[in-house]
Amino acid sequence: MIIDVHAHWGPWFFTMDVAEANLATMNRYGIDRAIVSATEAVIYDAQAGNRALAAHLETQERLLGYVTVNPRRLREAEEDLAAYLPGGRFAGVKIHTDYTGSPVGSRRLRDALTLVAETGRPALVHTWGTSVLDLAQVCLDIPGLRVIAGHMGADGFRHAIEAANACDRLYLEPCWSHAPAGRIAEVVAGVDPAQLLFGTDATLIDPSSAFGAVAAAGLTAEVAERVAWRNAAALFPDLDITA
Amino acid sequence: MAQTVTLCALFVNGMMCGMAIKDETGMPFDAGRLIGGLEVSLDVDVLFGAYPDRDGPPGTPGSVLALLERHRIRSAAVASLRAALFDVRSGNDELLAQAAPEVVPVGAVDLRDPVGAARELERLAAAGVRAVRLFPEEQGVEAGFPSVRHVARRAARLGLVVLTGGDVRRFWQPFAGIEARVVFLDTHFYHLGDFLVAAADEPGFHTSTRLLNSPDALELAAAELGAGRLLYGSRTPHYEPVVPLLRLATSGLKPDEVAAVAGGNARRLLGGES
Repeated sequence: MIIDVHAHWGPWFFTMDVAEANLATMNRYGIDRAIVSATEAVIYDAQAGNRALAAHLETQERLLGYVTVNPRRLREAEEDLAAYLPGGRFAGVKIHTDYTGSPVGSRRLRDALTLVAETGRPALVHTWGTSVLDLAQVCLDIPGLRVIAGHMGADGFRHAIEAANACDRLYLEPCWSHAPAGRIAEVVAGVDPAQLLFGTDATLIDPSSAFGAVAAAGLTAEVAERVAWRNAAALFPDLDITA
Repeated sequence: MAQTVTLCALFVNGMMCGMAIKDETGMPFDAGRLIGGLEVSLDVDVLFGAYPDRDGPPGTPGSVLALLERHRIRSAAVASLRAALFDVRSGNDELLAQAAPEVVPVGAVDLRDPVGAARELERLAAAGVRAVRLFPEEQGVEAGFPSVRHVARRAARLGLVVLTGGDVRRFWQPFAGIEARVVFLDTHFYHLGDFLVAAADEPGFHTSTRLLNSPDALELAAAELGAGRLLYGSRTPHYEPVVPLLRLATSGLKPDEVAAVAGGNARRLLGGES
């Protein structure tokens, strides 16, 4: 079984046509479940995107949702968290730092994650380079917050190792369109396997990138199972998975 | 081992109200099963040598060839990082001395020295080398520098295929309008649209598939330009070769198109055909 904790639903502005590609893409790689955020919510209008995703999820049995929060619109975020998280179709919260102009170290992101922590749900936060270290500090500062470092810092994956070791409520997922040799193996060697998840960034990125990078790491069966789904099942009870 | 996943979904009035997945067995991340019997007859993007500013593999010829073999990559267009980063002539000579049948030697020039680069192109062409590789990012050279246009023109005049790194949105320009045969090695799917519109006017423009890893980039490029413009490139040993392998193996391309991308196109291009 594989659970993708970093996926999207909706169109992208690049030269691509993948708005309806979720299930086909998942099927190609044996991905059973995916937790998706609405691209509209991430890129432009959080409330409109969350609303559209809520309607879409009513017809999807293999997808769960992230409620996307724009740290610049916390009143709207509170409304959406209250509206969607209790329904069982949204498993956590998504925050993109770049599209909202809200760096990980900013006051507004810290306020947004404080709000998320009060819901008891995990947050997937976009990280790149050294920002994953800032996320570890925020995680340490907000009691009870559980946070996934999206892309595990991408080219900053060595910082992600340090971040995960600094805060045991910080999880790493690997998706990136680049696959430098040995990246995943190095992270797995340096981090508690309980903090490792699998994410693809589909439908922006084909799962081949994360899937192949993880496959190349030659994980033991036990660690592979943790990465593939066990840790995600524990972090997201809404997935309702029975081992 | 096949995995068994039980999905239990309950819908009431069209609404999802409960679901459980029971995992009974699992063999996650089995890339070999997805890749199946796919072999690459010629990988267009392989390097010997190491980057001194990175914690990467040493890139010794033996280790690189072993890695290619493990991925069923039967031959590779190889360039030397010694030539690209330090000394062009000794690096290229070291590479040309490689007798391994699976190595198609690709010369390197240094864009920081356009005068010397032109001389090296002449020397490489006289030695029978068919392709030259440019390393603009490693050498800190931008697409608009006179050096790039100079080398592009000289290479085209000598009939050399150019394999170039760099952002395709910028590096297409020095090669436009000179009947150049070029493989852009760093085309990212974010920039696929720019490559497509540039290549539509340039029959000699090709791209590596290494970073065309969106769900539909290969299929879209094949539909717009034909699969003949796509070449499997891995950047072994500094990138994971399994990623573009997986993408190609699971693509929607037809079997003959897959075979072309997996080396047929590169053999045609580097074999001197247009």
